[in-house]
Amino acid sequence: MKSIPISKSKQRTAAIDRAKVESKVRAIRNNTLVSRFGSKSRWISLIYQIFVYVILIDLAFVFLYPFIYMVTTTLKQPEDLLDFTIKWIPQSLAWENFYYGMEGLQFMRHLKYSALISGLSVIGQVLSCSFIAYGFARIKFPGREVLFVLCMFTMIVPPQTIIVPLFMQYKTIGWTDSILPMVVPSFFGGGLRGALFIFIFRQLFRGLPWELEDAARVDGCGSFRVYWRIIMPLTPPAIVVTTLLSLVWHWNDFFEPSIYLTSEEKFTIPMMLPRLYQSLTTITGSNFEVFSLPVVMGATFVCLLPMLIVYLLLQRYFIQGVARSGLVE
Amino acid sequence: MRGRKLSLERKKMLAGYVYIAPWVIGFALFMLYPLVYSLYLGFHEVVGVGNFQLRSVGWENFNKAFVLDTNFVPLFISVIQDAVINTPLIIVFSLIIAIMLNHNIRGRAFFRAAFFLPVLIGSGLAMQQLLYAGVGRDTLVNGIGVPDEVFLYMGPTFSQIVFDMLSRLTVIFWKTGVQILLFLAGLQGIPVSLYESSRCDGATEWEMFWKITLPLMTPIILLNLVYTCVDSFTDINNRMMVYIKDTAFTKIEMGYSSALGWIYFLFIFVLLILVFVSTRRLVVYTGEK
Repeated sequence: MKSIPISKSKQRTAAIDRAKVESKVRAIRNNTLVSRFGSKSRWISLIYQIFVYVILIDLAFVFLYPFIYMVTTTLKQPEDLLDFTIKWIPQSLAWENFYYGMEGLQFMRHLKYSALISGLSVIGQVLSCSFIAYGFARIKFPGREVLFVLCMFTMIVPPQTIIVPLFMQYKTIGWTDSILPMVVPSFFGGGLRGALFIFIFRQLFRGLPWELEDAARVDGCGSFRVYWRIIMPLTPPAIVVTTLLSLVWHWNDFFEPSIYLTSEEKFTIPMMLPRLYQSLTTITGSNFEVFSLPVVMGATFVCLLPMLIVYLLLQRYFIQGVARSGLVE
Repeated sequence: MRGRKLSLERKKMLAGYVYIAPWVIGFALFMLYPLVYSLYLGFHEVVGVGNFQLRSVGWENFNKAFVLDTNFVPLFISVIQDAVINTPLIIVFSLIIAIMLNHNIRGRAFFRAAFFLPVLIGSGLAMQQLLYAGVGRDTLVNGIGVPDEVFLYMGPTFSQIVFDMLSRLTVIFWKTGVQILLFLAGLQGIPVSLYESSRCDGATEWEMFWKITLPLMTPIILLNLVYTCVDSFTDINNRMMVYIKDTAFTKIEMGYSSALGWIYFLFIFVLLILVFVSTRRLVVYTGEK
């Protein structure tokens, strides 16, 4: 709004008024509890709020439980496990269990393969799924609906159904025992749940204003330029969501790598979890089975650690992102 | 002029095909052929594992699954039972949590972050490791502390169901991350003006939930229903999946495993069709679609 020259005090009151209106609008937008119950009774509102907080804190505990359990158990000495008086807080912190976990997984050695597979898959899925989704969302062509239904339909094919012929196919072209079977399909809108990502991108693209695209086209933009320079920069939320989910799913994936990768130096980090005892026994020469739980939890934590770090970095964009990614029709 | 316009249209159409070409290629290479081949394999038996010689056995593999194999049918039923109990619980809980998170509460960012965290563990080996260590077994059943007398009153079948639900609850909660996010997105998409106008007309919160929130959330509920079904059926820890994998790679019965995979896949497919057909009238779409 252009400011009209008026006196300073008038300007200030106008600003205050505007701020009041804005805060009211914001309150309505956010469904504030006060505004919802204010007309009835403060008490109901208060009781309701306490109720919501109690439930949320309770549930948050349930959701955080595996992480709390993982970390506290890792920090326990073997003796603490047998002591019934100790539930959460160990007597002395056993940091070495993280170290054992890392050693047992041979973390640094296998990080490379895990990172390669999940990193490349993420790049492939974000690029290809958004590209394909642009076609499905913004360009009309015969057969589009049928193809899209077919695309969604691939979501429900369990990987186990086609794993045998796929395995043989990869074997014929010599892709087994390499990362190619996990990475290459990602660049073709496949990979783990690629169809879901196509769906997410499509929903978002459909919600973007057409005027933007028309304007760019009038200015002589080709459709690829429109996709790459106009549509993609408008979609960081969807990109963040896709990146994180794709990264987590590929990182944690055990099924495909365990089928395709056969030589041990190429194993991903999760694939080393079942071999933890074995590799710890060879490294330290002692039997780890006896006091295993803290070490197992340490290894599990270390295995998830890169995902935790990425999540903490992306978390803010992620949570806001989904809310605005236009997943809604 | 006219000819040029037509060619522009056609050019646009062609561009459309160019955009979805990667998917078509990927589908043909990594999905279509294996899918057809696995169906073909389902009617065959692998004679020599080394050179992969096939012998046609007709419907024998499918017969075997239902008649001879004593593991398959009970496993199938229990897997379906799991899904039937879990799916509504997941949907209802994630909707409730999403509605609570949608309020303007303090620490909303923290709660949202916390509720998504279990997705990081996913359903992979780390999760298995945790469950094996006993996480989830003793959190809620003991936590709520339902007295035994309550179960006695309910009769054996019903109490079994309730007990089942309670003991699943913790693990179920951990599977609601993605659904909560989808619901949150949906809730934020509902125009505030609808609530305002109905409030002016004197609607209560309760009425607004049933008349506005729920109907407008039905597309998301459907999406979540489908996602949850697919997620639970194709979960790596799903016992059926484990069984099919073992049949193929431990027992080396590739043909039989393919047949099992197809029976399972067709079942999921039919189930999803049923979900779509039965919910078609319930789902409300706003706007032009």
